[in-house]
Amino acid sequence: MADEDDPGAAARGSGTGALGALLLADARLPTGGHAHSATLEGAVAAGLAAEQVPAYIRARLRTVARTEAAAAVLALRAGRGRPVDYGPVQAALAARTPSAPLRAASASLGRGLTRLARALCPGHPAVAGLATATAATPGLRPLRPVVLGALGAALGLTEAQTARAVLYDDAQTVTAAALKLHPGDPLATVRWVVDAADDIEAAVRAAVAVAAPADLPARSAPLIDQWAAEHAQSTRRLFIA
Amino acid sequence: MLDPTVSPVSPAPPGRRTLRLGVAGPVGTGKSSLIATLCRELSGEFAMAVVTNDIYTDEDARFLRSAGVLAAERIRAVETGACPHTAIRDDITANLDAVEDLEEEFAPLDLVLVESGGDNLTATFSPALIDAQIFCLDVAGGGDVARKGGPGIGRADLLVVNKSDLAPYVGVDVGRMVADAEKARDGRPVLALSRSDAASVAELCAWVRGVLAEHVDGRHVPQDPGPMAPHSHGPAGHDHGHEHGPHTHVH
Repeated sequence: MADEDDPGAAARGSGTGALGALLLADARLPTGGHAHSATLEGAVAAGLAAEQVPAYIRARLRTVARTEAAAAVLALRAGRGRPVDYGPVQAALAARTPSAPLRAASASLGRGLTRLARALCPGHPAVAGLATATAATPGLRPLRPVVLGALGAALGLTEAQTARAVLYDDAQTVTAAALKLHPGDPLATVRWVVDAADDIEAAVRAAVAVAAPADLPARSAPLIDQWAAEHAQSTRRLFIA
Repeated sequence: MLDPTVSPVSPAPPGRRTLRLGVAGPVGTGKSSLIATLCRELSGEFAMAVVTNDIYTDEDARFLRSAGVLAAERIRAVETGACPHTAIRDDITANLDAVEDLEEEFAPLDLVLVESGGDNLTATFSPALIDAQIFCLDVAGGGDVARKGGPGIGRADLLVVNKSDLAPYVGVDVGRMVADAEKARDGRPVLALSRSDAASVAELCAWVRGVLAEHVDGRHVPQDPGPMAPHSHGPAGHDHGHEHGPHTHVH
């Protein structure tokens, strides 16, 4: 298949890259994403108004989502390496996710993706190697970007496709949750994502440019960490995090 | 703590000791109460745990914990992102994670009950999440609900017509409702239940013991009620071609 987005696909003998990018970005993927709000529920509880949601999406794309996209690219490279070792990227990402509830949320999403990866391509070294991530952070399952990178390697995604899948999913998680938390016109939320295109592409370029786990940007967002902590203590939640 | 060498994919029923039993049905029909009854009656006999799904996280879990029928740490609530039907059918991740965690932490478990968030008549559990399911209606919801059918009413492993003690107050003929349900269920069991009627509670427990025994023996095969019930158009029993249909089909 000629694929202008992924000229390397044919060389790798894989035709699933472009399809895989769509699969990983699809909210219908049965990996638990529908129960997550990317901390929007905590933000709304703290007073974030409907008209501030696009700014919240942009803030994530410039901070936590950018770190996660870069981690996914590093994981993709690790998944293509032999032997596969996700330990360095898992440890680097865990260290840059200071909020315990957000580490738990990422591990929960990673668990759903791991279940999918093992059902889809159990024998692939990039998938079999996921145990190396947990070995690096005992007690913490592989984080979402690490498993997305592993799936990206197994499905033949490019680095840009993998990073974009992380960023797009982050933005869409917010918009889907916004419809439950600030009921409004579903069509209007599509505009929010389209308007985030420049931020998404800037984050894709930044993610692809990261050379090694030590260079992983440490872009945390203290207010998001705070909202996530408060949300974890709340007893009336729609979303896990 | 998790073991990274263990596959997160659930083993197929023959390799798994625990019976995963779902309880679905519309809001307010008494699912939590039914689960509390099962815990009260069976937790001395079987190692049990419960997963609840709610609109807001943990209302049902708190009800069950406060009922004191099972150790609080064996009752876990999962968030469903305001989509309780999705969480038991289209994307069962959060529920499967909770079930697997309970099975690991309290191994060996005999029985895990999964309570769906109260939903409409079309919501049933995926067989990838549970081995058997109870669908719960109540007499106060109206005597005609069983006749209306739906996948849970038609093909859940057990249909419970709950709160039978309220029937005289809401003008419902329980016998009629059960007969309607039996007709819709093609011989599958129907139970008129009231938690104040010891005989009906004993029947419920006997049914659970029976399914558990079949599961342990490997004789129980999970059935999917399907997202929608097949139903036939035209005169009942009138056998003719597809154009006019003896067809049972799915919408």
